[in-house]
Amino acid sequence: MVTPTARRGPENSLQRKDREFIWEVAGDHLHGRRPLATTRIPTAKRRRPLFSHGHGLPPNGIVPHPGIKPNTHEGKPNYNGAPTPPPSPSQSVFVKTQKTRAYSKRFQVKFKRRRQGKTDYRARLRLTNQDKNKYNTPKYRFVVRFTNKDVTAQIVYATIAGDIVMAAAYSHELPRYGLEVGLTNYAAAYCTGLLLARRVLKFRDLDQEYEGNVEASGEDFSVEPSDERRPFRALLDVGLIRTTTGNRVFGALKGALDGGLDIPHSDKRFAGFKKDEKQLDAEVHRKYIYGGHVADYMKTLAEEEPEKYQSHFSEYIKKGIEAGGMEALYKKVHAAIRADPTLAKSTKEPPKTHKRYNLKKLTYEQRKASLVERLNALNSSAGADVDEDDDE
Amino acid sequence: MPAGHGLRSRTRDLFARPFRKKGYIPLTTYLRIYKVGEYVDVKVNGAVHKGMPHKFYHGRTGRVWNVTKRAIGVEINKQVGNRIIRKRIHVRVEHVQPSRCAEEFRLRKVKNDQLKAEAKARGEVISTKRQPLGPKSGFMVEGTTIETVTPIPYDVVNDLKGGY
Repeated sequence: MVTPTARRGPENSLQRKDREFIWEVAGDHLHGRRPLATTRIPTAKRRRPLFSHGHGLPPNGIVPHPGIKPNTHEGKPNYNGAPTPPPSPSQSVFVKTQKTRAYSKRFQVKFKRRRQGKTDYRARLRLTNQDKNKYNTPKYRFVVRFTNKDVTAQIVYATIAGDIVMAAAYSHELPRYGLEVGLTNYAAAYCTGLLLARRVLKFRDLDQEYEGNVEASGEDFSVEPSDERRPFRALLDVGLIRTTTGNRVFGALKGALDGGLDIPHSDKRFAGFKKDEKQLDAEVHRKYIYGGHVADYMKTLAEEEPEKYQSHFSEYIKKGIEAGGMEALYKKVHAAIRADPTLAKSTKEPPKTHKRYNLKKLTYEQRKASLVERLNALNSSAGADVDEDDDE
Repeated sequence: MPAGHGLRSRTRDLFARPFRKKGYIPLTTYLRIYKVGEYVDVKVNGAVHKGMPHKFYHGRTGRVWNVTKRAIGVEINKQVGNRIIRKRIHVRVEHVQPSRCAEEFRLRKVKNDQLKAEAKARGEVISTKRQPLGPKSGFMVEGTTIETVTPIPYDVVNDLKGGY
């Protein structure tokens, strides 16, 4: 029966995230063999090999769930160089981990956003680095991100305190302009980019000067700088997506360009660029901007697989949107966006704040004050006790 | 073969990145702005190879005399022989930190301006000069008891109890 030695650390150390080797010897299981490699550690922290043969409860008293299978690391060396002990049977939930304390101590974590897989620092560095002889001039980024059901377009600039978002547009605002379905396709991305551009220009009082391309034709369009004020310049920030030709990110880019922003770009990645001819087919691009590719698919499905058409485009059918009416619909949406790009205040109430169930963390001053109180209480209760000097 | 005296000789530890701080450098260093006349510390960042100053300038503080696209011109004093020369070097921003040597002065300036403005409003004339600490004023010693310490006669047995 494995008996826990008295020489283990406190219970919490077993649940620590960076798990250590916790080895324990039970003499009868060794059968006269030497314990597996242990480095010479001072007695207070001595750990010895564990051969858990599944007898009785594991040392920390947790009863293993029968469904849990142990980690089998057969043949893989541990970090302290010792060969792996034989895999423990399914009854034992306590499995040897491969990360020694030494490994954890030397491990350098990546930046938090890199660990979360959200930020590409190499790209971010090059996007936010401003020339020093431009001092405080912000370098604006046109940030486009896609979620499963939404498109986010923002104009952001970086400060030491954190990034500041100057303006943002989401595709879930498009219902306000008449587009209810298909909020993450190329056409919706175009609309979102357009909305953001008009919003920013309005915010900066540039919208009269820089109309951009009112009639979306799919051709490569760049803003011409006017005489008085220079156009609003931003740099495209794609994030972590793969920049393939026809990606929706470039749909949003096209929307912003046609809206009147100055974003350095090339037409190589717009939908409809033919690699063989090295030219953008404006017709194809225009089709994508007006949802033509979706309309084509709707038509083919309706003819060949009506049930799939019903299930796939159910929302479109409910709203009464037909393949033929796509272009007109998007034209209306573009016009509505140009008419009023201002942000609508949300009419939702702020969420209810719930009662606090855990203790609130005290500030440094509060902790010091409470300590002083406790000491005063102790001193007064101690009263007439005189400190006795130790006799040496 | 003798040891060389190249540009980066003897900098194995000096230019090494600190423990667990290798890799990408945080973006704050790139977002800081420097104006001509400010004081900066030169501290080499071994991860960036361009625009590195010579190892002599590591740890020196100087004033900014020029600002270019990616670098700062810093004017640092260097003793050459029997004189001190004001050397002008260009250093990339990764190897530069804003210096706090002038911070106390700047704060004091602001506070003094404020005090003077308040005094003017009251109609008084005040001196905002810093004064050195003078000698401590006299005081009576309170709450003490007098304990007379006298030597005790030497006791051989007790003193040798530990050992010989």
